Amino acid sequence: MTAAPAARAAGLRKVYGRTVAVAGLDLEVPTGAVLGMLGPNGSGKTTLIRMLLGLTRPTAGTAELLGRPLSHVAAALPHVGALVEGPGFHPFLSGRENLRRMAAAEPLLDAAAIPRAVGDALERVGLTHAADRRFRGYSLGMKQRLGLAGALLVPRRLVVLDEPTNGLDPAGTRDVRAIIADLHAAGSTVIVSSHLLAEVEATCTHVAVLQSGSLVAAGELRGLLDSRTGGLVIVTPDVEPALRLLAEAGAVATRDTGGEPGVVVTDGPEPPEIVALLVRAGVAVHEARRRRPRLEELFAQLTEGS
Amino acid sequence: MTITAETGPDTRAAAPLGRLLAAEVRWVFRRPRTLVTLGLFALIPVLIAIGVVVADRDGGGGLIGAVAGNGLVLPIAALTVALALLLPLAVAMAAADAIAGEAANGTLRGLLLAPVSRLRLVGVKAFGVLVVAAAAALAIAVVGVLAGMIVVGSADGGMVTLSGTTLGLGAGLARVALVTVWVVGQLAAVGAVALAVSSLTEHPLVVLASVLGGLIAFGVLSAIPALDWLQRWLLTSGWSAGADALRYPITLDAMGSSTLRALCYTAIGIGFTLWRMQRRDA
Repeated sequence: MTAAPAARAAGLRKVYGRTVAVAGLDLEVPTGAVLGMLGPNGSGKTTLIRMLLGLTRPTAGTAELLGRPLSHVAAALPHVGALVEGPGFHPFLSGRENLRRMAAAEPLLDAAAIPRAVGDALERVGLTHAADRRFRGYSLGMKQRLGLAGALLVPRRLVVLDEPTNGLDPAGTRDVRAIIADLHAAGSTVIVSSHLLAEVEATCTHVAVLQSGSLVAAGELRGLLDSRTGGLVIVTPDVEPALRLLAEAGAVATRDTGGEPGVVVTDGPEPPEIVALLVRAGVAVHEARRRRPRLEELFAQLTEGS
Repeated sequence: MTITAETGPDTRAAAPLGRLLAAEVRWVFRRPRTLVTLGLFALIPVLIAIGVVVADRDGGGGLIGAVAGNGLVLPIAALTVALALLLPLAVAMAAADAIAGEAANGTLRGLLLAPVSRLRLVGVKAFGVLVVAAAAALAIAVVGVLAGMIVVGSADGGMVTLSGTTLGLGAGLARVALVTVWVVGQLAAVGAVALAVSSLTEHPLVVLASVLGGLIAFGVLSAIPALDWLQRWLLTSGWSAGADALRYPITLDAMGSSTLRALCYTAIGIGFTLWRMQRRDA
């Protein structure tokens, strides 16, 4: 395996008529990462994914998939599993037959290995019991699971999942999370677009936030969250004296409404000074911690500002 | 860890072509409408046979009239009747499903991501359509021969030509086979053009409407005497040539020229499909 990023976009741009779907975007997906692609509806997530996979030609810019330029993307695709824009299957075939048809086109599968690969993929997404029913009769969640199975027919170096939890029940959502964790543990790179922020926060190592076709934030999830402080939480029974002292010291502090009694300092002196101030004044400090914002808050800040 | 070896399927860039073609044919014949269509085509010669026997009046005109008491003419008559509209429609349906239908289902994307190269995809799809055309023509020919022998019966176990001579069973069957192959060639032309339309749309109905509209337009154009010079360019103008197989000695001029015309249509249709599929978003 090379050190090249699993996927890379440079100045990637796509214009449909007068609509700019993706506006010249640079992105690197490090090998082994689980990248959550976030953005409001119509922010260009799917168009970006489709360009990376060679399904849509970019208007301008370049991209690489597993180190291959778009002009040679076919060489990378056998190692890429994708579920893009919902599961596409034939209604008159059973789930198993649909997957067999897909498997027949997979370069990395030997003919003799196909039945087994199909069975394993069905097992992995929990669809074995419905494998021989027609796709026509599948529920939305089962269709989604079958789409996921299609992406997992072969061990992949990169798996791209566009809204994989659409239509899934809570158990299905958990299953998807477990599958992503398995892929990550096995060293595969995963790109997952979702509007379920809690999902992304739970499963991703990296995020890319899109807004109107532009990247407004990208990087390691932890780093992004750390860069935005959510304030200093001080757990103390002496809430009133603490608030008074902090106000005198020029800090912006409020009563902590959630959980244990305490205060939240969102602006003012640095944390060590605040703690020292309180302790010297005889306020009992049980705990002081920096509060990291939830991804949801970060996302709201990033996408609603403009 | 996912790359295990430098040999074997791990380094293969495309699935074997034979496997793709087999999967395509399996898909075509698993489609209920393909099977229903083939069943209906098998009924055509049976219906003609019953009609001829029930009417049983000598002097009935045309190709159908020639079937009376001359069973081996039945498959050729049935093929000629079906070629006018029904066979092209069946081929158009297959071509509509092949690209537009797959795009509408979202399965075209899956094939391109596997990946199946766009060049190969057109090849596989064209093969699938050709298989449907051949199966439909064969269904009519085989059931036609059987119904002709059993229901209509034949003079001395052979075929009486339009010229009045009698051919043996073998020679008669050879002529049926010749017409069947010629019909498949004409249908290939229709299929190639239908595939080209199919590559332009995600609505299978558009393909059916285009082929139906095209057939009607060709029919109208060929009925206008002032446009006589156009005849040689119209695919449909040679579609009565199958009856020439019933003459003695056989005349191949019309079948030959219509086959040439069909080849041109096929080349243009496939060429356009290839050009278009290289650019198509999926």
